[in-house]
Amino acid sequence: MSEVLLSIRALHKSYGSFHVLKGIDLDVKTKEVLCVVGPSGSGKSSFIRSINQLEPYQSGEVRLHGHLIDSNMNIDKIRQEIGMVFQSFNLFPHLTVLENLTLAPMRVRGLSAQQAKAKALELLRRVNIVEQKDKYPSKLSGGQQQRVAIARALAMEPKIMLFDEPTSALDPEMISEVLNVMKDLAKSGMTMIVVTHEMGFAREVADRVIFMDGGLIVEDTTPDEFFTSPKHPRSQLFLSQILAR
Amino acid sequence: MTFLLGSFLGFAALSFVLGKILVLLPEPIGSRSDLFVEGAKVTLLITLNSALIGLVLGVLMGLARGSPRAWLRAPALAYIWLIRGTPVLVQIMFVFYALPVLVPQLQLDEFWAASIALGLNVGAYNAEVIRAGIQAVPQGQTEAARSLGLSNVSTLRWIVLPQAIRIVVPPLVNNIVALLKDSSLASAIGLLELTLAGNRISSETFLPVPVLTTVAALYLIYTTAITIVTTLLERMMKLRAHV
Repeated sequence: MSEVLLSIRALHKSYGSFHVLKGIDLDVKTKEVLCVVGPSGSGKSSFIRSINQLEPYQSGEVRLHGHLIDSNMNIDKIRQEIGMVFQSFNLFPHLTVLENLTLAPMRVRGLSAQQAKAKALELLRRVNIVEQKDKYPSKLSGGQQQRVAIARALAMEPKIMLFDEPTSALDPEMISEVLNVMKDLAKSGMTMIVVTHEMGFAREVADRVIFMDGGLIVEDTTPDEFFTSPKHPRSQLFLSQILAR
Repeated sequence: MTFLLGSFLGFAALSFVLGKILVLLPEPIGSRSDLFVEGAKVTLLITLNSALIGLVLGVLMGLARGSPRAWLRAPALAYIWLIRGTPVLVQIMFVFYALPVLVPQLQLDEFWAASIALGLNVGAYNAEVIRAGIQAVPQGQTEAARSLGLSNVSTLRWIVLPQAIRIVVPPLVNNIVALLKDSSLASAIGLLELTLAGNRISSETFLPVPVLTTVAALYLIYTTAITIVTTLLERMMKLRAHV
């Protein structure tokens, strides 16, 4: 059995009077790949953004390697260990692809320019985009931008990668190039939490599927279980709606 | 940096050429061209001084104005409120006449009183421009930077400000053009800049039409030159930015 890497207890979050997360408990082991699915408004994005404190939450705790993550500690330190990929890529438009990858390792980890560049090139090769290294993000397609964003997060050598609907802003023909990179990453043993609507990906790659609805984890099971015999009526309804398309 | 130096030399060269042209003009301009040139020089220098003061103040106050911390935000708000709610002429006169009465050490000559008053004035307008520019950078940029472990200050330095600069340059230059024109108000405290020079020549010669036309033309040439320089600068930044 591998160790618990990330542990979340009784996480509650509200936007004003709107209670989005109503007590989330979750343990993630090293090298596990979790796919978080559920209807829109179920709190998936708020949940994943709470993990590294991009969204403040009112109560509950998140621990990485047993260390409590809260706003009082040096949050920059813990964020280095948690890679994040956004729906809208959020590449830095004033920097080249290569500079997007080298900025944080140099400024935060203190790598030399050569070290950071060597590492960046290796990662760009890994996501198949090294030939675009000197371009600016606006010159790349959405799929290419998202692969660069994944490489940028990996450049910090995180312990865990969070993906917040990484393919939702992509044109259909570009989704698979991003999913393939994520599959390779999962195979390489990266611990991942992926909020996604890509059920095929969840089925093929995930170790566990987390179904969220109404701010709660309704079902936490294997992909086989979830897609063939979901237990909860709300999971059944969700799946029937998705498969009906 | 080379660009700034280049534009500075460009303005010096322009002034030199204008001086040579003024000498050739018929009476009453040609014989008094030295006074026009001296006035234009003072006008350009107080504009340069106050633009620099205003830029530094604008960046500091713009950052403070948008800060989540109330103890930083409050003084910036008070400063902007005070400056934007009072006439710049009163501000110039206050710094020159009233400040030395309140604080005897601050007995400034006309040149520095005007530079500082105008710098304080344009700083408030710059602060609003800079705050708006920072807010115009999408929130996702900050989130991406912070989630990579960059600190608040590093995020501002490496991600937000470089993108905000492209947004704020055109409105900041507008403020400098306004500043160049407002500098004529320094004539009220007896600073011999372009407007006061023109006024003197006009009353000595009783020929207001050619004299004041020359004064207006000189302002117009300088403001146009600033606008041209900015257009070039914007084009350069666009070429480099690829956004």
